[in-house]
Amino acid sequence: MKSIKSHHKKATAGWIVLVFLMTVASAPLFAQKKNQKSPGGYHGELDFPISWKSYYSYAQWTQIMHDIQKKYSHLSDIQSIGKTRMGRHQYLITITAKSTGKHEQKPAMWVDGAVHGNEVNGITCSLYLMWYLLTRYDYDPYVHDLVDRCTFYILPGLNVDANASYIEHPNTAHNPREPFRPEDNDGDGLYDEDRTEDVDGDSEISVMYIQHQDGEYKLSADQRRFVRVQDPEEKITRFLRIGSEGFDNDGDGFINEDDIGGPDPNRNYPSGWNLRVGNPYPMSEPCTRNAYEFMLDHPNIFAGFHYHNIGRLIMFVTPPRQERSQIQRADQYLRNRERYEEYLKKKREQNKYAQVFDIQVREGYEDDMDVQAKIVQMGARILKNYRPVPTGGMGQAQASTYDMLGAYGYLIELWGPPVFAADENDDGRVSDEEYLKWIDIELNGEGWVKPHEWEHPDLGPIWIGGTRKKHVYRTPPARYIEMEALKNAQFVMYCASQFPEVDITDIQVKPVSHDLYWLQVEVTNDHLYPTASDRSIKLGRTEKDRLQIKTSSNISIVPVLKGVPKLSPIDNRQECIPVRSDEIEFRLRGEDSLKFCILIQTKGQKGWIDINIWSQHGGTDRQRIEFKPRP
Amino acid sequence: MRSANQTNLKSLMVLIVLFVVLSPLHSSAQKVSIQFDKYHGYTETVHYLERISKAFPDITELVEIGKSNMGRPIWVLVVSNMHNGVTLDRFVELRNMRKEGVNNVKPMKSYQGKPGHWICGSTHGNEFTGTEVCLYIIDRLITGYGSESEIKKLVDHHTFYICPVLNPDGVFNSVEKGKAQRANSQNKDDDRDGKTNEDGPDDLNGDGFITSFRYPDPQGRYVIDDQDSRLMTRLGDHEETDRMRYSVIREDTDNDKDGRRGEDPEDGVDINRNFPEGWFKENGLPGGQGKYPTSTPEAHAVAEFFTNHRNIIMAQFYHTSGGFTFRPMGTAPHTKMHPMDVAVFDLIMGKKYLEIIGDEIPEAWQNPESLDRFKTELKEKSKNKYAAMRGYELPRGWRVSYNESRDRRYSYGMATDWAYMQYGMYSITTELWNFRKDIPDFPEIKDTGRSSDSWRALLKYQDEKYDGKFFVPWKQYIHPELGEGEIGGWIPIYRNNAFPGKPLVQVCEKHWKFEHFRASLMPRIEITDVQTRVLFSTDNARTASVFRQGNHVSIEKGEPKGKFRIIEISATIENKGKLATHLARGSELSGNREDVVWLIGDRDKVTFIQGTPFQKLGVLAGTMDIPGYNERTTPSSPSSRSRAMRRFYRTQYYPREWRPESEEFQQEPEASRPKRNVKWLIKVQGNTPLKIIATSQKGGTQMAEVPIK
Repeated sequence: MKSIKSHHKKATAGWIVLVFLMTVASAPLFAQKKNQKSPGGYHGELDFPISWKSYYSYAQWTQIMHDIQKKYSHLSDIQSIGKTRMGRHQYLITITAKSTGKHEQKPAMWVDGAVHGNEVNGITCSLYLMWYLLTRYDYDPYVHDLVDRCTFYILPGLNVDANASYIEHPNTAHNPREPFRPEDNDGDGLYDEDRTEDVDGDSEISVMYIQHQDGEYKLSADQRRFVRVQDPEEKITRFLRIGSEGFDNDGDGFINEDDIGGPDPNRNYPSGWNLRVGNPYPMSEPCTRNAYEFMLDHPNIFAGFHYHNIGRLIMFVTPPRQERSQIQRADQYLRNRERYEEYLKKKREQNKYAQVFDIQVREGYEDDMDVQAKIVQMGARILKNYRPVPTGGMGQAQASTYDMLGAYGYLIELWGPPVFAADENDDGRVSDEEYLKWIDIELNGEGWVKPHEWEHPDLGPIWIGGTRKKHVYRTPPARYIEMEALKNAQFVMYCASQFPEVDITDIQVKPVSHDLYWLQVEVTNDHLYPTASDRSIKLGRTEKDRLQIKTSSNISIVPVLKGVPKLSPIDNRQECIPVRSDEIEFRLRGEDSLKFCILIQTKGQKGWIDINIWSQHGGTDRQRIEFKPRP
Repeated sequence: MRSANQTNLKSLMVLIVLFVVLSPLHSSAQKVSIQFDKYHGYTETVHYLERISKAFPDITELVEIGKSNMGRPIWVLVVSNMHNGVTLDRFVELRNMRKEGVNNVKPMKSYQGKPGHWICGSTHGNEFTGTEVCLYIIDRLITGYGSESEIKKLVDHHTFYICPVLNPDGVFNSVEKGKAQRANSQNKDDDRDGKTNEDGPDDLNGDGFITSFRYPDPQGRYVIDDQDSRLMTRLGDHEETDRMRYSVIREDTDNDKDGRRGEDPEDGVDINRNFPEGWFKENGLPGGQGKYPTSTPEAHAVAEFFTNHRNIIMAQFYHTSGGFTFRPMGTAPHTKMHPMDVAVFDLIMGKKYLEIIGDEIPEAWQNPESLDRFKTELKEKSKNKYAAMRGYELPRGWRVSYNESRDRRYSYGMATDWAYMQYGMYSITTELWNFRKDIPDFPEIKDTGRSSDSWRALLKYQDEKYDGKFFVPWKQYIHPELGEGEIGGWIPIYRNNAFPGKPLVQVCEKHWKFEHFRASLMPRIEITDVQTRVLFSTDNARTASVFRQGNHVSIEKGEPKGKFRIIEISATIENKGKLATHLARGSELSGNREDVVWLIGDRDKVTFIQGTPFQKLGVLAGTMDIPGYNERTTPSSPSSRSRAMRRFYRTQYYPREWRPESEEFQQEPEASRPKRNVKWLIKVQGNTPLKIIATSQKGGTQMAEVPIK
């Protein structure tokens, strides 16, 4: 947190002949601001109650967005960024305190939920973040500061056609996943002609089995699951697994062989796109194109979160790696492995969330790698059982966020097997038996499709069942939605809190001789992120930070000679950058400060010097030094 | 009463008029004439397309495939017999469909069941000779349909997708606003002053064209040409001269008074650098133009159209000028291409092209059987390693934009490379207009290697034949910022486009011939030799159940079911076209599929005993031998069945017995035959019609009734 401000430090050297005063342009940030008291720990959530006990339909959650925006219109705006293939609006909410500036002038966090149709807990996590920021703004100084200083662009549902279908209709846990571009999966010349159907009408799409002497499955002893036959001699009713519930729509003898869904939307983005996984072309789908166009049009986006499930992973985009052959890489890996493991072990002794990555990035990308490692380490700490994993390429959204926009990209794989509750033998995994027990105990039996007989129009008598329901498998059961959403909102907010902020933290004046003085200015970014990513600099998408000096007419800047030793004239143990004119460009890393020295010449005892710093993402700061005769 | 009578009369007249308009006889007799003595630009082209599509609804359809940034529609005229196309989706009955009812699949258009030929003009707005060639081809197809049997065949069997103007804004500004504009238009703020497109070039003298302004300038790079005082000659970098030096700029003034001229024009992105293939640099940073591949509405429209019209196998993107053709690739060396595709491009199409434009045909192309000898020769002679691999250097008239001798790519994100690599089309870019060849009576000029000789000759030619209409004589003008000087020079639209009139018609005729030739190469699926054999027939079949106890089997008959037959059906699916149903490249692409044959009957009455309702046939070779390519096989069938498909094949359980595993029904390995024999054994209840449908993505779809004897 911000704690060092220039006006706390006093220039104490006795040889200063002139008194200088500083007028502080901005209010100190650490003084926490908020408008409401928090009796009993109340933080505003009930000002706009939302239940997190179910997954909402498209109509419902877009309505919630509109309603909350109406209530908090001073903090948010809502817009449709375009329409999907099936004509649904993609609503995006922009959150920032309008009183402190326009959204496009603040560093922004992009959040999209559910690029894959079936990964709908991305929607609830996005909505939760929206709700958390808006309702707590008046009560929670941390949120207040964030919403004042940053912008959040939240697109809860990206692939809303498939999202809506997944929630509102019977589906397997894994479908529909892609946007609805017609595709001929089975190469028979017809498009999307054989989809899944809810054969038994129970609103779940489970698995069909048929009795068959060569079957590999039997009913388990408790009659709840189909399990593999272990003993080939066993005399028991055997079943063949047919696959998900459905009919043979086109009469070709296959079932569900050409389900709805075109290209994978998360292989549809430009960077690293390739035809094999990304057919037909980059940005071919309206839903991804609309989202990406919005990101392109908002260069203030500094980092982006893309929600997926499952696996509890914090996937972060790494900068381009050094080009090495596979042999070199293997060699390096072997040499480094032990060293890394030892190093990691040592670090984990102090912090069990410590992260070390054996990644050699290309020259000029070191800062990005460095900050990503720090951020995901904190991610592991906040999200507890989530594991950081490097990612990138292949036309994935988060890769383009970094590679093409120069914004730090993260993909969160939400949820996963309920290890925290069900793992009885502590092996880190949840076996089928443990899963069933969890459903029985924690979910009170809800969430399982029991095997039952059914008459199928194409297959005759069959069995259906023996699976988890879709919301127990792929997304957290309703009661866990908030648990998952809260910690993920915390991580997004933590990242936003680390967006760069440049400040003038110290100014000193030292006489040289006669009317020449050294002026030394220290600027600092005490947050984790640098003022611009290495990548955005390579892409030419960011302007450098600037220090500008204006003076009263009787004060002038003396262009110091090139080759002046870069040592501070105040304290020659420190480095300092000499400024030769009234402007200099620089770049601040994360948790970094720079000192600039300026040789000035004054005529007379009065005068002023304005020091301005400007950073595209780090904001601005301004200090004035006034020279006055000593009273 | 009276008024009712009148209404009746009116409606009768409307009916008559409707009948007249709709009657195919009438419409094909109607004529929509077109002249090539001037450029049509965007507006007139659209007007022509609209008239054509109204007058010939039986063989044309006008489709809007997108809109430019300035809101101008991009039109494609589909030319094909609209009544004889067959598509599979009309025949397959779908049952028990999902109740959700997502309606994302549109019925196929009948013309999508025929091989497609894409021809487009004016990707670059100032290169609109291609627009004229497109219009000429439309005119030839339409007028020839009623009178020339060969053209009738073309239009009956193929689908032409003709997009005369791919870059509406560029063409509109170039032709109708007199300002040469290569890129598309874009609303943007290049100079970041908060205003959009506020400082483009200006028509200072108000003559309707953006020509040039020349003014004396001691630092100028130009002098007045010593032979023709209207032309300006550019000096070399350090060339000294005693003559008066000039600077020559576009007609332009500083509209926003920011000290710079023309720094925020309407010009946007070069569309032909906005396609996905090779758009990125090798280091992963953007290389092509635009924010991302297909970011321009024009490139996006083409990509979407190609994706939805997988029947396209030939593609032509016209540009100017030079009078030669680029075949793929430019962004990568030719080793990225399959040798069979290279052979088709060079030894079949290239050879014909050189013949048509009157260029010399390489010796190796005339003797493809001795390619090996040429290869060994070139290995010693040529510095170009790719030429040695092929056995020939590419001639001037048929080349690649890749720099083979320096082994360096040319540019990023070009349409031709993309259409070949990602859609599997025979895609080419012809640079139209070579005035030396396309103007029949053009005087011989000495080839001194300096372009000024050509410009002098062209200027003289237009003086004589076109009354000097293409050149604005220099006239004094006082420029608000640069002071005294003169405005004049070539009118930009004539600088790199075929001169209207005879020369333009020459260009059109040559390239119509070439595309006509290419169309004649396209694959064409046919169903031949349909045979049926009734193996068993009964008029009073009954259901039966089988009971088994040890080795004792007893059969119990059930209720009567009427007439039943067991029938063996066989047919031959043939590709009667010259080229295979996929390019070698095309057969590797996941967006493409194998040729397929279906046997379709009433699902309640037909049971398959052996053979499946649809069978995959691989890729059917064409009837033509590919010169210079020895392996008598087409490349393998689409190896890249999607992952989901492969998984599906592994796990899917066939509930019926007719899983095609018996040897009799095993397909021969997918090889290079233009023919496939297919067989089914089916059980048919009652009398139900049966149909065989053979469908190939690029070879068309055919349907045959199955007569049961």
